[in-house]
Amino acid sequence: MRGGANPSGSSVNIAGVAHEFRRANMVTRALDPLDLTIAAGEFVAIVGPSGCGKSTLLRIVAGLLRSSAGAVEVAGKHVAGPQTEIGIVFQSPVLLDWRNVLDNVLVQIELRGMDPARYRDEALKLLAKTGLAEFVNRMPRELSGGMRQRCAIVRGLIHDPPLLLMDEPFGALDALTREQMRIDLEKLWLERRHTTLFVTHGISEAVALADRVVVMTPRPGRIDRIVEIDLPRPRNKETIASAKFSDYCEEITECFMRRGVIQY
Amino acid sequence: MNALLAWSRRRVGPLAVFALLLLAWEYGVWLFGVKEYLLPPPTKVWVEFLKRAPTVMDAAYVTSRQLLAGYLLSIVVSVPLALLVARSRFVEESVYPVVVFLQIVPKIAIAPLFIIWLGFGFAPKVIIVFLLCFFPIVVASVAGFKSVDPEIADFARTTGASEWKLFRTIQLPQALPDIFTGLKVGAALSATAAIVAEFVAADRGLGYLLLQYNGQFETAMVFAIIVLLSAIGLAVYYAVELLERLAIPWHVSQRPAGVTGA
Repeated sequence: MRGGANPSGSSVNIAGVAHEFRRANMVTRALDPLDLTIAAGEFVAIVGPSGCGKSTLLRIVAGLLRSSAGAVEVAGKHVAGPQTEIGIVFQSPVLLDWRNVLDNVLVQIELRGMDPARYRDEALKLLAKTGLAEFVNRMPRELSGGMRQRCAIVRGLIHDPPLLLMDEPFGALDALTREQMRIDLEKLWLERRHTTLFVTHGISEAVALADRVVVMTPRPGRIDRIVEIDLPRPRNKETIASAKFSDYCEEITECFMRRGVIQY
Repeated sequence: MNALLAWSRRRVGPLAVFALLLLAWEYGVWLFGVKEYLLPPPTKVWVEFLKRAPTVMDAAYVTSRQLLAGYLLSIVVSVPLALLVARSRFVEESVYPVVVFLQIVPKIAIAPLFIIWLGFGFAPKVIIVFLLCFFPIVVASVAGFKSVDPEIADFARTTGASEWKLFRTIQLPQALPDIFTGLKVGAALSATAAIVAEFVAADRGLGYLLLQYNGQFETAMVFAIIVLLSAIGLAVYYAVELLERLAIPWHVSQRPAGVTGA
């Protein structure tokens, strides 16, 4: 199941990327130099404690933040500014309050100067796939948090980006919604095989979704370990309940215990 | 039509209370034998008003024109200025503090200066209305233009859209609720501003008339003018509110009922 399956997915090459935040005279090291290569079509999850710089790394890959050192290449091209060949999803759905669900998805198309009418059917299809078929004409305030986040995910995917960046996209959701979203996201990924970088602090969520789980140390963040997840897809109930699945979770939990992130 | 019905239904309560107050006023004055130059009954106000309607309506026209011109001028200046403040660090750090300082200066106190500079006519009144309405609109609009969620901004940057398109699609609609709040505060101030401007120096207009009648103890006419002025202020306010309903229905409907008398 490892990457390369999708020639349209972008590879990501992170070389020696480090970051520090300067405010007044304080310098906070957020990320220590870090190397990571993500193959085209691969699903990589980054797991780490709060403040380990995982969101910072994602923003650097998106070109929304300039790293203090090192370089990122997406699809072989050096990242020098905001990337447009990506889809991005944050922890909060950040929808536009004055647009209904469908138009919130299509804003992605409009802002790109493409014709929204041509993407309408695709948007409706994706919304249906994420359980929003009956809600396409609703306004964001009429939706539950989970529905809003689904809408944000569809907005991140509608233009079929070769790279999807997700920053704790399920972080604000309840456990049941999370599980369903996880299943839906895997389905979409299996169909499209866009390269995905998924930042989370949920260990089992990372194991359930990713081809590889990158485990980060506490700040300043470094890669502690990379765990290859060799589980069949789609990852169904049996997979999640398997001994192998819990072994992976165990392995990552132990990384955090060693660093004192989790203490018993 | 349904909306209109609902609207009028909401208005029934306040109107009934208002009518009761008028009745109490009318009969209170009669019952306690209050002198007319102290507190004329509503019917007397109405009768006196009808007698002098042409004069008063002419004055109302003069005042409304000044009020509207000043108010519109304040909108035309404030909203673009707010956008500049929100978008440019330099403007925010250099111009905005001056704007805030000018707000601290009591504008009523500088009003006489405009008489010296611009005379008794139309212009000084417009400037005074402008000065009073200007600040609340700027402050609210700056807040509005700055209210774009940083993550929305991040998302928008990944689409490669032009600044103009981002402004049109995201920043402006996001700012509209706050801008309208400012516009409503400005509208409520505009009637006060127009009257004060005429108090300072004028030879026509409702403010001028009001002082005249007051000097002659024509208390009924003073009341008539106060009512008329309130009506003008209210009309401006509701015009803005109507505009708000048309422009941002998505926001108006989510606001709890009754907050702004909606």
